[in-house]
Amino acid sequence: MTKTVDLAVIGGGIHGASIALFAARGGMNVTLIDRDALARGASGTNAGTLTMQMTRAALIPYALKAHEMWVRAPEWLGHDVGVKACDGLSLAFTEAEETLLAERAEARRAAGAPIRLVTPEEARAIEPSVSTQIRMASHCTIDGFANAYLTGVAFRRALISEGVELQEYTSVDAVEPAARGYSVHTKAGVINARQIVLAGGVWLEPMLRWLSVHVPIRTLVNQLAVTERMPPVMRTVVGIASGLLSLKQYPHGTVVIGGGWQGIGDRTRNTHSVVHDSLIGNVRLAVHAIPGLAASRIVRSWTGFEAETADALPAVGAVPGHEGAWVCGSVHSGYTSGPYIARCLSQAILGEEPEMPLFPIDRLLPAVVSNPLK
Amino acid sequence: MHDLVVIGAGPAGGNAALSAAQAGLDVLVIDEASQPGGQVWRAPSLGVTLAADPDLTRGQAMRMALGNAKIPIKTGFSVWSVAPISDGFEIALASEGGPEMVKARRLLVATGAQERVVPFPGWTLPGVFGLAAATLMLKTENMLPGKRIVIAGQGPLLLAVAAKALKLGKVPIAVVDYNGLGAWLRSVAGFARHLPSFGQGLTWQAKLALGRVPIRRRSEITQAFADNNGLLAEIEIAPLGRGRKQRLRVDTAFIGNGLVPGDEILRLLGVKRVPDPMTGWRIAADAHGRCGPSGLYVAGDAGRIRGALPAAAQGRRVGQVIARDAGITTSFDAVDEAPEFERFADASCRLMQVDDARISTLPDEVILCRCEDVTVGMVRQAIAEGAQDANQLKHFTRLGMGPCQARMCGANAAALLRSHAKVQPGAEYLTPRSPIRPVDITHMAGQFDYADIPVPKPAPL
Repeated sequence: MTKTVDLAVIGGGIHGASIALFAARGGMNVTLIDRDALARGASGTNAGTLTMQMTRAALIPYALKAHEMWVRAPEWLGHDVGVKACDGLSLAFTEAEETLLAERAEARRAAGAPIRLVTPEEARAIEPSVSTQIRMASHCTIDGFANAYLTGVAFRRALISEGVELQEYTSVDAVEPAARGYSVHTKAGVINARQIVLAGGVWLEPMLRWLSVHVPIRTLVNQLAVTERMPPVMRTVVGIASGLLSLKQYPHGTVVIGGGWQGIGDRTRNTHSVVHDSLIGNVRLAVHAIPGLAASRIVRSWTGFEAETADALPAVGAVPGHEGAWVCGSVHSGYTSGPYIARCLSQAILGEEPEMPLFPIDRLLPAVVSNPLK
Repeated sequence: MHDLVVIGAGPAGGNAALSAAQAGLDVLVIDEASQPGGQVWRAPSLGVTLAADPDLTRGQAMRMALGNAKIPIKTGFSVWSVAPISDGFEIALASEGGPEMVKARRLLVATGAQERVVPFPGWTLPGVFGLAAATLMLKTENMLPGKRIVIAGQGPLLLAVAAKALKLGKVPIAVVDYNGLGAWLRSVAGFARHLPSFGQGLTWQAKLALGRVPIRRRSEITQAFADNNGLLAEIEIAPLGRGRKQRLRVDTAFIGNGLVPGDEILRLLGVKRVPDPMTGWRIAADAHGRCGPSGLYVAGDAGRIRGALPAAAQGRRVGQVIARDAGITTSFDAVDEAPEFERFADASCRLMQVDDARISTLPDEVILCRCEDVTVGMVRQAIAEGAQDANQLKHFTRLGMGPCQARMCGANAAALLRSHAKVQPGAEYLTPRSPIRPVDITHMAGQFDYADIPVPKPAPL
């Protein structure tokens, strides 16, 4: 007879892995399933930026809490994800960007982020290598970055020591409501679980369809590039007013260039790739912001999916009409606030009141058309 | 939009361009080097005179033919990426002049081979060069660095470099050959299928014998040691299996263990590697070089290691296939399919075989990924901790994240995964990424105005 676990988490990214960890610590018997290895999708390939200046204003309170968690990862996760806290600057090169920057800085400041507008001189005191062509910058004292590719190995160690059963390289074909909970049909067999979490990033849409819930999830294809190791060229996280640039130098010397320039990809076939002009544009923006990058070379570019709901706010909460089924994902800049969002949802799963409100998906369901025959 | 772009102007690419252009296609050739020829038919630098040599003669003939055919060739251009577009391919170039996109209805990848090295402690010391680097210096500058040199590894290149060193008056302290005489003799029948090359090989052997160059057969370098300045000073050689180890004072070592396909562009376009007992792997292509998406072709060592002469013959043939596929010509010249080359190539490849066991038994302290200083032991530890594929290995250890993007260590890391992990077929290789070679940021960005950067619309607030 197949055993029944307390919780089956489908999707081993930052959300799924964190929920599995917190649920296990809350006393649950947990299985975590991923069709690839842990954090091999967006959670392992994103830019690792832990900035408030690219976070949606509504998510700032969550991102601030998560920032603190990231910085203290060795305490609660028990392993290093290469997190470095530092200052952050967002730049304006044109008058239009100044307006945009001021407006966005104010909205994020109102949401709790310690952001203030600074002059070019002040900006250069904070980041001496920044372009002399800036007209204004916004400075946030809470910023930083993680080494995203270490997410998988760090969580793997933590989950194993917490007794979570990992089923990697195991795809799930279907999830069905069962007498007491759900049956998760994997290529390796059926797992019965009292509760389930769907945490599959851009694949949340097809996953929710297992339960006949229809929520459209848009697929973004974010591009990234990295330089070879180079001498220290910057010491802050640098972006621009529009949010289309993120730059930081890792302790080993490489500079990661991101900002959400779009590649092309296909969720169904799970393929994504770089668009040449997009990469060139991104690199131009980078070298314009930090001219010292001109001395380096690009050694690698890559792409990853990001999920977005219709209102670009998260899908985090109960699956309507399915007791014990939960969904977690589509969080804009999801890696930044990931561990805290996951903590809030795991509190709900454990039957507690979440520290901060969730983002139930009822709002995203198609409007219920009243049945004229009723 | 060109009918055909050929990447790589070596024996395969150059000859393919010639036959496709002759059939009437509008062809553009792109090559990193300053002149066509590729690695084997490489042109000497300006002002360098080389003694007559079959490879030089063949290279000059091809360069002349390309010139006479007035085929445009972009030399000195590095292709950093290729992507499919609706009606063909976009080839991304970068140079001092900035970025440039070239479009083609059909694309032939003829990017040749890369060297494989079986590492040993000390293989990354300054003073240790690849055999391929040695041939490059010999063919372009007619020189080799070093005074006390050792030449080690396996395959035909070992003899070629040793004989040419001797010709330059540099008597190698030793030639350390992984293969024994028996292995060479087993290949004689195959080599004899192409008499001119066989003759050349025999001449090299004779010259080494006459020059009294000590040849250590069935032996390998087991360690290299540095002097106080961190430069190569000494090597330890040992017979395979049991036997007395010996130390030799050297200042330069040329090492190489055969060739693997230089297939980055093909893999970037989604073409798969398939295991090949003789050469480790080859590229999945049909008999006419068609592979992956429609309009993509491969010729020469980029698809499967066969050597320069088979590559040239295949190039001529694939050039015609492309013209026929393009509907330019229905005729098909009787191209010499040269079956004798197959046996000859097999004979060469047999001498370059590297069994996984040679990698999986390396000591823990050996550096596997030289860009990121990842040792064999670190890879073993990562596998023990759960890394079951190449991408995961990269995340656990940084293997393959440096400038060479695992060009150097990828085949060896794959051997470790196959030996120690439960790796799925194909997952022992990293996901291919552009740029294919590191690109100067100034070359990729070029000259630009900030206002002209097509910044997408702002992310939602």
